[in-house]
Amino acid sequence: MIRSFIRYLRGYVKIRAEGFSPERFLNICSSHQILIWGLRPVPKGYEMYMSVRDFRRLKPIAKKTRTKIVLDGRYGFPFFLFRYRKRRVFFIGAFLCVALLKAYSLFIWDIHFEGNDRWPDETLSEYLRSEGVSPLMLKSAVDCPGIVKSIRKEYNDIVWVSASVDGSRLKIQIKENEDVLLGEDAEVSEKKTPTDLIASSDGVITSIVTRSGVPQVHVGDRVEKGDILVLGRVDVADDSGEVTGYQYQRSDADIFADTTLEYRDEMSLTYEEKVYDGKKKYEPYIRLGKFTISVGSISNKYEHSEILSKERQLKAGENFYLPVSLGIKTARSYALEEKTYSQDRTRELLSRNFRRFCDDLAEKGIHIRENDVKIHLYADSAVASGTLFLNERITEEADTEILTIERKETDESVGTDD
Amino acid sequence: MEKEQLRERLASAAGMPKDVTMKAAVITVLGNFEACIENYRGITEYTECLIRIQTKGGQIRFTGRHLQVEYYTNDEMKITGRIETIEFTHKEGRE
Repeated sequence: MIRSFIRYLRGYVKIRAEGFSPERFLNICSSHQILIWGLRPVPKGYEMYMSVRDFRRLKPIAKKTRTKIVLDGRYGFPFFLFRYRKRRVFFIGAFLCVALLKAYSLFIWDIHFEGNDRWPDETLSEYLRSEGVSPLMLKSAVDCPGIVKSIRKEYNDIVWVSASVDGSRLKIQIKENEDVLLGEDAEVSEKKTPTDLIASSDGVITSIVTRSGVPQVHVGDRVEKGDILVLGRVDVADDSGEVTGYQYQRSDADIFADTTLEYRDEMSLTYEEKVYDGKKKYEPYIRLGKFTISVGSISNKYEHSEILSKERQLKAGENFYLPVSLGIKTARSYALEEKTYSQDRTRELLSRNFRRFCDDLAEKGIHIRENDVKIHLYADSAVASGTLFLNERITEEADTEILTIERKETDESVGTDD
Repeated sequence: MEKEQLRERLASAAGMPKDVTMKAAVITVLGNFEACIENYRGITEYTECLIRIQTKGGQIRFTGRHLQVEYYTNDEMKITGRIETIEFTHKEGRE
């Protein structure tokens, strides 16, 4: 395959050797290291192929063996060029092709990210754009160590970055820090203002686990919203039991209480449903920057209609968005029809809503002890209402009141006279 | 002739390959449709049904149908087509 391609590139000829002893001609050719292929006997001689360069060396051999050489055909790229030498546009096109390829290869066309989980490609490429790194920039202007440094500086949880130019693509490999807890701990320790824990709602305390601060309530106590549960101020008393000062700290405790929550969900039994009658109008368009070229129109005389737009921005490669968007607007005609839910359906809808509400609570870690929610059906509406008995964490942070103690200190300053 | 025999003995004693020491032709035949020949002197006759090749020790005749020389260089040639017989003719006066 490669051999025949090289032959084509260099050009080869088909010749016919005729004469007294064409075999002798062949043997002398081979002893002169002339490569012959496709040898075929014809009446009075042989046909064969050889390269153009070898053909030029044939003259003395032909003379010596008194062989007549007839050129039967010319093949290959040099002859192809010669045959079409007058087709200027073709050559200009070929030259342009090569020149454009070279020119295009001078630019970065795509940015590829690898190993990023927490930071999406869009965010990273947006950041790089703000740093002046974007598709269509000159390849020679890419500063890989600079990109690495700026990404490391901007994103704390990216622990390793590598940037490399791979053809016309900028490849950025990232390793993110998987240890999330570290960051959270650092955040907590920053906060040092003393805080109390107060009740976020009314309820009866069921359990207290205090880690820091002074608990102000006991299990079984009834608290109201806003009551202090844990005080962040610790009294410092002297031997006689008199408070001489305070120490402040951030309160931390798990306090659970039984609380109640009113639930009410009302829905109308009648509703309007859209019935599409199949009438549609389309308006496909192309958006180039600010200009929009569209075909057709969606302006209509439908009584009720909804307009649907779909748009897709074209991109070359992975992260190189072209300023061209394709889209289509669709107007759909519909009629409104009034309908009524059946009793079963109403029950189903209300209980589904309630179930979702309960699931949401459970997701927040709130335990539902009991509920007496009931569904009442009326002539044109339905109501689900009742009370939920919950057990939940009721702590809420609030700043501790800073108290000062007025000390009766004896004035012991001594005046000095000069 | 003496010299030739001596060389043959020496070569077999030394365990040298004979295609190197005695310039014996090497023919590699693949099925009955392809033959590669090395260590030859030249073609003496070539038609579609007969190819005669001159080697140091004598002639080799390939007969068959649609015989064709795929390529022909100083060291190696390849014959394709349907090979029916391969014959060796020794130089006259030898043996």
